[in-house]
Amino acid sequence: MSTDHTRRRILKASAGLFVPGLFGTIARAAAAAEADNRILVVFEMSGGNDGLNTVVPYADDRYYRLRPNIGIRPDKLRRLDERFGFNPGLAGFERLWKDGQLAIVHGCGYDNPSFSHFTSMAYWHTATPNSGDDYGWVGRLADTMSPQPAPNFVLNIDSTQSLAVRSRVHTPVVFDDPERFMRSALHEERALLDDVTVASRDNPSRRFLEQVAVSARESSLAVREAWSRYKTPIDYGIVPLGLPKVAACIAAGLPARLYYAGYRNNAFDTHVQQPDLHQRLLTYTADAISGFLRDMERLGQADRVSLLIFSEFGRRAAENTSLGTDHGTANVMFFAGKAVKGGHYGTPSDLGALDAGGNLVHTTDFRHAYASAIDGWLKLGAADQVLKGRFAPVPVFG
Amino acid sequence: MSSFASRRCVSGLFAITLLACSACAAAASPWAGDLAPIAPADWNRARAAHLLERAGFGGTPEQVDALARLTPAQAVRRLVRFEGVPATTLPPFEHSGVFDEGLDPFPASRPATTDLARERGEALGVQVKPDGNRRMQPVVNRFFYWLRASRLETDRVAYWWANRMLTSPRPLEERMALFWHGHFATNEEKVRDYRKMLIQLDLFQKQGLGNFRTLLIGVAQDPAMLAFLDAAVNVKGAPNENFAREIMELFTMGVGHYGEQDIREAARAFTGWNFRGTAFHIDADRHDDGAKAVLGRRGRFDGVQVIDIILDQPVTPEFLASKLYRHFVREEVDPALAAELGRRLKAANYEIAPFLESLFLSRDFYAPESVATRIKGPVELLVSTYRKLGLTEVPGVPDFNETTSALGQRLMHPPTVAGWAQGRSWITPGLLLERGNFALDLVLPDINYLPGDRYPVAQAGYEIREVHERVRSGQDLTTATRPGGGAGGMEMMAMSSANGDRNEDFNTRYGSYRGWQMAVERVKPIPRTVARLDLTGMVLGAGCRTPEQAVRHLEERFLSVPLDAATRGKLSAFLQKELGTADLKAAASYAEDPLRVLLHLLLSRPEYQLG
Repeated sequence: MSTDHTRRRILKASAGLFVPGLFGTIARAAAAAEADNRILVVFEMSGGNDGLNTVVPYADDRYYRLRPNIGIRPDKLRRLDERFGFNPGLAGFERLWKDGQLAIVHGCGYDNPSFSHFTSMAYWHTATPNSGDDYGWVGRLADTMSPQPAPNFVLNIDSTQSLAVRSRVHTPVVFDDPERFMRSALHEERALLDDVTVASRDNPSRRFLEQVAVSARESSLAVREAWSRYKTPIDYGIVPLGLPKVAACIAAGLPARLYYAGYRNNAFDTHVQQPDLHQRLLTYTADAISGFLRDMERLGQADRVSLLIFSEFGRRAAENTSLGTDHGTANVMFFAGKAVKGGHYGTPSDLGALDAGGNLVHTTDFRHAYASAIDGWLKLGAADQVLKGRFAPVPVFG
Repeated sequence: MSSFASRRCVSGLFAITLLACSACAAAASPWAGDLAPIAPADWNRARAAHLLERAGFGGTPEQVDALARLTPAQAVRRLVRFEGVPATTLPPFEHSGVFDEGLDPFPASRPATTDLARERGEALGVQVKPDGNRRMQPVVNRFFYWLRASRLETDRVAYWWANRMLTSPRPLEERMALFWHGHFATNEEKVRDYRKMLIQLDLFQKQGLGNFRTLLIGVAQDPAMLAFLDAAVNVKGAPNENFAREIMELFTMGVGHYGEQDIREAARAFTGWNFRGTAFHIDADRHDDGAKAVLGRRGRFDGVQVIDIILDQPVTPEFLASKLYRHFVREEVDPALAAELGRRLKAANYEIAPFLESLFLSRDFYAPESVATRIKGPVELLVSTYRKLGLTEVPGVPDFNETTSALGQRLMHPPTVAGWAQGRSWITPGLLLERGNFALDLVLPDINYLPGDRYPVAQAGYEIREVHERVRSGQDLTTATRPGGGAGGMEMMAMSSANGDRNEDFNTRYGSYRGWQMAVERVKPIPRTVARLDLTGMVLGAGCRTPEQAVRHLEERFLSVPLDAATRGKLSAFLQKELGTADLKAAASYAEDPLRVLLHLLLSRPEYQLG
């Protein structure tokens, strides 16, 4: 803990040094963002999704040797080609794949992987593996796109705020239930209830609360109106995972450019009796995502919206003795959307070259995929800054 | 946010910034980091209130006055050692009587239950019918009955606990139990047995201020924890790393102080640890008693020995002491201070009470950096609001569990094994609005409230209500339980929606519905009392005669930081307008409603979230 602390301090101290040089780039990026109006939706699969049973390398016998009980037989799979097949639950993804709107990035991970949900997720949230940052990568991205505070710029559909969206400049709008995202109040007290300003100087917690109160006042009406006006004929499946709320906000023309949603609370942590549960989780995920993209098409927004889909790690290559899998390393990531050039990217991890712990060795640092979102999709030319290093984008957007 | 402040101060680009920051957290006050005890001469009412807020759940002005009259050492001993304080006289949890012998051991899932029934001709104490349609339906009903009954009974356990938090003369016992519940986070949704949750709570309440080694061993042998972290599949030859990982990462040391090999070896030491019914049980045949190498030591360790090795690591007391410090004092702990706190906890031989005693007595605890900078968690927010109002019973409306759940903290349901993130994570724009809505529901109760422990309300209950109506209208079960009413209207059915349960042996949706009915029959209802407030009596009794005095009284009673003068002025003007007079006493017969709206305004303020 103390080393973490020291590291953060060093990062903070050095962050100041770059400030003058940054301004020009930020301004350029802001201009580029202004010219464009694209939206990025980041979708998290919390708990460590089992990539090997998601995109199954069925042509590789080693897969079935590693997973004699929970390996998915070829005849059960939704085949993509002569090498890979989707988990049978992924009907929604299969449709996107056939339409050329789904990119699979294989072998994503980072050096010295952590097997802790919390640590690894924090690395993915901050895009700083084996290190740390006060702000999330989506938050830093927001700061780059809009260096001035802009209301309703970042939306996080959840009951608690993700570290990924923590921003220096912006107060992300975080809500779970749009219908409850409002103040109940009597007529005579409403003006006083809304009477909050950011005024305190000497108590940082108080100042933080004031900022959130102002943000709440400014966004709750917009979000609720968006939700009440939104009606869709599209079926998002049994567990829509917040995506209809994202659709409602986009449909209503909210200025948000960055959305964060997903499966919460380690849902994908399938240590025991994995197959049925995992297939169900994937079904819900793929139903919701493909429903969302159809909805974007319906709303005439499909050209503006792309999704990045990730999990904090994959799972151990070999199954465990409880018909499940333990925490692992490298994993598939996905991009979905009309602008995505569907297909395989990156190099699948070699099942014959596992590390000493029996884990997949990653072939692509996940920040290359983040760079695709930042530079390939949002066209900011700012991936280096946001990611604090050079990561060439994976060419999923051409 | 102190990171914000420190960056501004350290960078020092502008003199103005530097000046503005002279009062902020980064420019440490003289007492910050000073662990020396405060002198009796430094004791005052505000500090007594701060102590009661943190070492308890706050209290009425009279309770604060009583603490202020003691010396600081006496006050802390009263709160930590319970000197002169009787034990709680609250009755133990009153079971509804929902458990039957056949339910134990409860299978991992509905498919596992029906597989068992298919194999053995019975499961959960219910026979499979020899013939006819849906032969396993009674077994499936029984499965859902227990899921539902255990869930509802757990809500009653949470209510019982909330009432202890509110009324116990030893609030720190309950606060520590809450702390450990977040530290050793265990969720009923996976445990599926309220009895185990209650046993775990009892451990936290009894042992929470005692010795950490005793507590840690208790947790490692606690049926709820064993169920939660998959002890049943941690067996010789095939260790499951779940518990071994969490004990090192989350319970004692933190990431970076052990290797993957340590986890694998430690997992072997815990093999065979399991439970039978609600009791700890070691299955000797499944225990691996071979040699293990854990954290640089080698031997034929069992679980307790591994725990002792972990407790011997220098980082362990520091990790734990820092976590206690961040919970009770403030979020930021400087590395040098963390090391010193660790030394103190180690020197106290991991005894929690003396450690907390020295923490609550320290000057650091009363430094401006520590006072009113902590964001109250949802459970704490409700309980302290009720305590400050002088309530003697947790209201049934608003529902305690639903309210804290909407605010991000449902007892017995921490979101992950890491418990609840603290501090600023408690607050988002949506959650801040919810906190205000809670205040409104408290002062003017929601007349449309339907108790979810009786009626299938909201989204979760929609399907139950639908099935209920259709079954009663005489439809066959397949039709009655078809999802979405079968009316169509969906453009394209998503895969998950099309997966109706077509197994002829049983009907899952019907089982879920019938299980709900069976549970309601047996689980006792939560009393739906509404708080009876008398704010008029409260402010008049405190000697308030003008609207401004009333605002000041409520402000001092409820808030840990003073309002700014402008806000106070607006609130006073509001109250005066609503009363139609500046004479509070003359308005006494109708002042209650305006005062309640005023309290709603006050409790909705950003400042009220601080304690």
